[in-house]
Parts: sequence; C-alpha cells; structure tokens
Amino acid sequence: MARTSTSSHPAVAVRGLERAFKGGIKAVDGLDLEVREGEIYGFLGPNGAGKTTTVRMLVTLLRPTAGQALVAGHDVVTEADAVRRNIGVALQEAAIDPLMTGRELLRMQGALHGMRGGEARRRSEDLLERVGLTDAGDRRVGQYSGGMRRRLDLAMALVHRPKVLFLDEPTTGLDPTSRNALWREVRGLNADGTTVFLTTQYLEEAEQLADRVGIIAGGSLVAEGTPGELKARVGEPTLNVHLAEGADVPAAREALAAVGPLVENQDGGCVAIRAARGQATVPVAVRVLDDAGIAVESLEVVSPTLDDVFAAVTGSTLEGAAQSRDPDASAEAVA
Amino acid sequence: MSSRTNSPAGPVAWAFWMRSLGEVTRVRGALIGTSIAPLIFLLGTSGQFGKLVGLPGFPTDSYLSWIVPLCCLQGAGFAGAAAGANLARDIEQGWFDRLLVAPVARPLLVLGPVLGAITRSMIPVTLVLVVGVLIGADVTGGVGGIVALYAASAGFCTVAALWGIAMAVHFRTQQAGPLMQMGVFLGVFLSTAYTPQPLLKGWLEDVARINPVSHVLELGRQATVSGIDASLAHTWPGLASLAGMGLVFGALALFGLRRMGR
Repeated sequence: MARTSTSSHPAVAVRGLERAFKGGIKAVDGLDLEVREGEIYGFLGPNGAGKTTTVRMLVTLLRPTAGQALVAGHDVVTEADAVRRNIGVALQEAAIDPLMTGRELLRMQGALHGMRGGEARRRSEDLLERVGLTDAGDRRVGQYSGGMRRRLDLAMALVHRPKVLFLDEPTTGLDPTSRNALWREVRGLNADGTTVFLTTQYLEEAEQLADRVGIIAGGSLVAEGTPGELKARVGEPTLNVHLAEGADVPAAREALAAVGPLVENQDGGCVAIRAARGQATVPVAVRVLDDAGIAVESLEVVSPTLDDVFAAVTGSTLEGAAQSRDPDASAEAVA
Repeated sequence: MSSRTNSPAGPVAWAFWMRSLGEVTRVRGALIGTSIAPLIFLLGTSGQFGKLVGLPGFPTDSYLSWIVPLCCLQGAGFAGAAAGANLARDIEQGWFDRLLVAPVARPLLVLGPVLGAITRSMIPVTLVLVVGVLIGADVTGGVGGIVALYAASAGFCTVAALWGIAMAVHFRTQQAGPLMQMGVFLGVFLSTAYTPQPLLKGWLEDVARINPVSHVLELGRQATVSGIDASLAHTWPGLASLAGMGLVFGALALFGLRRMGR
C-alpha cells in the first residue's frame, strides 16, 4: 500500500514532543514518531490518550510546550504557514457551516488556499464527483447526513492537493456503509500519493487502512510497527482443529505435533497447534490428519489482533475491540 | 510549491465577506432584531424625551433629529457586536479551526467578519434614517452630513465588531455574547447620547467628555443637527476617536488570536 518515498525528509517527524496544560498535566509527554512519505500511519489509542492533542500540534492549532515537530519538512512552530500550505485537515467533528452548500464550501476552501475562481470551481466539481456529492452539491450542508458531511469534510481537506492529510477519527459515528465508503476514499487518496496520518480508536480501522500503526497511551508512544509486526510481538497464530465426533484425539494430537508445537488446555474435541505460517499451515494439517484417517469437522487459524497487542502494551482494551478480528481469524476451513 | 506562504488577501477577504452575508440572506429573520430594535428605540425615545429640546442650550428644536444618529449608531454597534457572537459560535462549533489551519494571514480572519458586519449594519442604519426623516427629522447637513452619518455608523460598527471579536477569541464561547453587547450599550449610554454634554450633570458629564463615542455621535449628528462646519470641528474628533478605538480593539483582537493555541 505504501508508496516509495521520493523526498529526503519524512512526511512527519516528531522528537520529544510535549504539551502540558494548566496544572502541569501533560496530554502528550515526550512523543517520538516518524511518518514516511506516501504511507498511511494509524495513530491508535483510547479516549484521552493524547491523539487529538498530538494532531492539533501537528496541524499548527496548538503550540507544543517542548520538543519539535516537522510536517512536510517544515517546523510547526517557526514555519506554521508553510505547514498549513502542505496539509489537509479533517478534524474529529466535521465542522462545516450548515448554511452553506457543499459546492460553496469547496470553492471557499479553494479561495482560502489561494486558488483563482476558475481553478477553484473545477477542483470543487472534481471533488464533489470523487466523494459522490455532485447531486447534493447545491444543497445546504445542514440537510446532509452524517456520512455526507464526513465525505464533504474530506473533500474540503483535499481541495489544495495536500502532501499530508490528517484525519482525526474520521469514521466516528458513521454507519458501516458510510465507513466503508470513507475507507475506500482514503485508500484511493493514498494510492494517489497522499500521506495519511489517521487517528482512530477503532482497531478495525487501523488494521484495514494503516501501513504502520503507532499506539499511544498516557501521552507516549508505547508500540509502533506494521499491524503484522505488532501482532507477531504478541505471539504466533494458532491452528484450531475441531475433530469430528468419535475421532481419535490422541492420534490427532500425535499427527498434528509433526506440523507444529501443540497448544495445551484445549477442549476435548479440539486440538490446537502453533501456526507460524498462518493459513499455509492448513493444507499441511489436513494432509497429515487425512493420512492418519482422522475425521475433522472444521479448522480455523486464529491470529492475535491489534487489541491483543494493545492489551499487551497498555494493559487495557480499546473500543470496538470485539468487532475487530484479524482477517485470518475469520478464515475457516471445513474438512 | 509556490514560494509564498499565505494566500492572496483579496479573494480570502471576499470569501469571508460572502459567507458573512450568507448568514443574513439565509437565516430567516436574521435582520429583524437588529433592524427593528433601533427603530422602536427611535420612536419610543423621541416620544419620551421629546420635550428636552426646550431646555436652554439644547442645540436643536427637534429631539427626533437629535436621536436619529444615536439610533443609527446603536443599530450599527449591535450589528458589529453580533460579529463577535458569530465568531464565538464558529469557535465553539470547530469551524474556526478550519480557518486557522488555512494558509491565511491572521488579520484576514478578523477583517472578514468586520466587513460582513459593516455590510449588515447598513440595513438598520438606512431604515432608521429613512423612517426618521419621514416622521420629521431634519437633514441639516445635506448629502455631506448623511455621508458623515454613514461614516460614523460604519466606523462604530467596526469598533464594536473588533470589540466583539476580541471578546470571542479571548473567551471562546457564545456565553460572552452579553459582554459584547454590553460594551456597545455602555459606550453609547455613557456618552452624549440623550442630551448635549453641557446639560449633563455630575460624573456622567465627566465620563461623557472623555468618552470617544461622544465624538462619534457628533460626527453623525452633522447629518441632522449641526450640519457640516467649514472648520470640520465636528468631523475630525469623531474620525480620530474611531481610529483610536479601532486600533485598540483591533490590537486586542489580533493579540487574542495569536494567543489561541498557546
């Protein structure tokens, strides 16, 4: 998914970033992170972890109290104007003037970014089409649904073709259809070369979209890597083999032990092994069980989820963890 | 990427201005309050205090003529203060964040709402002037006087808008709305709004003398009371007062804007 970097500097580079509020409370405390050009970086954390404070500093809305942050190669404090020219921002709540139409808002956004009338008009039409709002373009935004507002919000963030796009919890409150539509759009933007900094508290969103994920808790980065790397830190996938009724369990255990290390403490009719090769373990297991004449009801590969990672590094779970299953986990083979 | 960092000022100011006007044309009844209130004030006050013109030293025999500029300034002032309330709403709703992350020179974030307020204020000012003249106010200053009245109204609207914006960026809540309105009310009330300064007594006389709004009223009263004097004695103090108040409240607004996010 990530595109090859063509620039000498990272899209976002953060060193020792801090933000303290009155009373000395540090919402962000010594944050270090780097986002490569052309990638989707998922910034994951529960409410109050410091995600939004970090984003507000990166988009020049909030001054850091310590540390340094460069966005598109520019310092967010000393070169704030240059940062603003290079970023697109869709903040947590789609803050859009309800009295204006979608078309007017996009043209206004174009003017704010220095586009001339004709250019702003053309770009507005392109973006309305891209986010599927051409027909609704002349309706006041106050009449839009939540999903339409989010899509317009995204379009407004894209008017000036930003190098880095900041999306702060873009799908919060959206129904699954609207959420999937927004995900498709984000993937498309990234494919066009836009770096995306995505904050989310939804594991599934991070899994689906992010090339790399940073987990923030208590204002600091506690883990970072690709979703696969992070999950690998927690443990290997497991192959659960549910035997048919009356099958010889000891024989099944003996046969499967040749495929991978056995996992103990399974139910009577289920034998589990470590499956370092994930789904590739399934045909091998099926073959050895077939050779041993053991009937199988079903097999499933269960991989660690980002929630497992989050729980491991922070000791707590995230909202939406229940819905978030690794794609491998849903892959069930019936023998 | 272009070497410039901020977008050109003209189109940005125009965009803000148009948005501000949209609030007037699209919100049903948006102008009723700011237009009707000064009109009712005009009719009520001229009836209640009409006989004050009989006091020795009152510079006109028509209280209606005396009060028309005051009502124009009140209408313009409240239209200006509304710019602050609207900005506070934009801050609360997050819209202002979108403007802050745009590569736009910060003074334009103030100029846009001010331009919108000035435009909106012309409606109550014109309404009060027309009704006032229709029911008997003198137009002693002719065209020049009317220009002076519009200048005073637009200037006072600007000052009130800058005051309101300064309050909005400081408190960042619509709950500061009454404070914005109160600033306008006190500025007008503690001036030569109802009677000339020589007829005021006690502390109010002293306050009205140093209150710059008194000079702005004098500027406007060239339309219906004093006329345009060749020495421009009633013109320059008002213009200077507007410039001074504009500078002070403009600086406060920009200072508050700079403090946002710190």
